[in-house]
Amino acid sequence: MTHTLNRTGLSEKRKGEEIVILCMIHYKLKEQKGNEMKEMARILMKYQPNNFIGSPLGLTEEQLIPMAAGVGVLTAVFTEKNDVVELIKEIKSKKLGISVVISALFSDVRDICKEASLTEHTYNCSVGVFGKTEKLPDELVMEITTQCGHGLISQHYVNDVVKRIRKGKLTPEEGADLLAKPCVCGIVNRKRTGEILSELAEREDTH
Amino acid sequence: MYIDKELCKSCHKCIPVCPVGAIQAVDKEVHIDYEMCVECAVCLRLGICPEGAIKQVDEIPYPRILRAAFSDPMHRHESTEVLGRGTEEMKTNDVKNEFRRGEIGFSIELGRPVLGAYLRDLDKVTRKVTSMGVTFAEYNPVLALMKDRKTGELKPEVLNERVLSAIAEFAVPEDRALDLLDEIVDFIEDELETVATISMISRADDQGNIELLEKLRERGYNPYPNGKVNIGMALIT
Repeated sequence: MTHTLNRTGLSEKRKGEEIVILCMIHYKLKEQKGNEMKEMARILMKYQPNNFIGSPLGLTEEQLIPMAAGVGVLTAVFTEKNDVVELIKEIKSKKLGISVVISALFSDVRDICKEASLTEHTYNCSVGVFGKTEKLPDELVMEITTQCGHGLISQHYVNDVVKRIRKGKLTPEEGADLLAKPCVCGIVNRKRTGEILSELAEREDTH
Repeated sequence: MYIDKELCKSCHKCIPVCPVGAIQAVDKEVHIDYEMCVECAVCLRLGICPEGAIKQVDEIPYPRILRAAFSDPMHRHESTEVLGRGTEEMKTNDVKNEFRRGEIGFSIELGRPVLGAYLRDLDKVTRKVTSMGVTFAEYNPVLALMKDRKTGELKPEVLNERVLSAIAEFAVPEDRALDLLDEIVDFIEDELETVATISMISRADDQGNIELLEKLRERGYNPYPNGKVNIGMALIT
C-alpha cells in the first residue's frame, strides 16, 4: 500500500531530513528469500536507524534480524543522507534480489541513486488530498499524523502531548517517543516529530 | 472494542489516543462509540489503560470485521482474502513489471488522512471509476467487497462499515491519465463526505526520469516534492 507516501511537511529547504527505506520481497519469492531478508535487516540496523519496523512494539535490533526471515517487509527511518548512501551501496554489493523503495524528497532520491550508481525504476507521486479538506486539523499537526500511513496517530493525542510539553511534564523528545508508538511499522521520524512538537508547544495555546 | 465499566476508573487517559475520536466521556463515564469505532485496536495495543479496562470481543462478526481489516495493520485480511489494506503496487515493480511504460497507476485512498471513511463512500468511487472503464488491480482487497465487478457496486451489507481508509487501485493508459484525474477529483469534491488522497505511479525512463510531475504542475496540481521511488535493487544480481 501507499503507507510511506503522502507525508506532509518535507521541504527542499531541509534536504536529507528524512529518508525512509522499505525493503520488500515479491510475495511469490517470500519462501526463497529468508536468508536474504535477514542480511537486509542486519545491514539496515548497522546504519542505526531513527526508527524501524516493530520498534514501537518493543522489538530490539537483535530480535529483528532473526525474525526478518519470516517477514515480507522491512522498514527503517534515517535522518543522515550520507549514511543512506553507504547503506544503499552495501545492499547493492550484496545482490540480495530484494526490492528497495526510498521515500524521501525526489531530489534526495536522485542524489542517493547517483552516488550509488543506480537508476530510479518506478515512482509513486502524491497528487494531494481532495474532498472535505476543511475538516482536517492544523497543518503542523498533520505533519506528525501523516507520518503513519495507516493513520494510527490521533490528532487528539498530538494535542494532548503538546499540552503536557507546555506544562513541563514531557520533553519534546519524550513526546515524540509516545507519538511514534501507535505506528507499528516504525516509520515515524522521531527527530522531526520532536522538532514539530517544540514548534507546536511554543505556539499560543488556542484550545 | 469496548470499555469494561467495572474496571474503568474514569482516568480519561485513553480518550486522546483514538485516531477517530471514538473514545468519549459522558458524565465522566468513559465509553467507546460503537458506530464511530473502526476497530483499529490502537487503544488496546498501546496498553494505555492501567486497569486493563479496554477490551475486545472474542470474535468480531461479519461485516463489522471489515473495519479491522481496513484499519488495523496487525489484522490478517481473511475477510478480504488479501493481506493489508492495499497491494504491493510499485514496491516490487522491479520484479513483477506490473506498471509498464505508457501506463499510469492510480491509488485513491478514501478517508486518508485523519477522517476515515464509510464503505458507502468507497462504493461511490468504485462505481464512478468502473463507469470510466478502468480495471481494478489484481489482489486489491476492495475487489472482495464487490457485488458486481462490471458496475463496481459493493455488497449492500458492507456499506455502513466505517474504516480508517480503503484504497481503490487501478492503471490506465498514460494518454488518458490526466483527463481521468480531473474527472475523479471533481467527483470527489462534489460527492464525498470525507477526504481522499490520490497518488499516481509512473515507470521511469532509462535515465530514471518521469514526465508525470511536470505534467501535473502544468495541469494546475501541486504534487508533493517527496514520494516513493523503487530504485530497481531487485534487478541487481
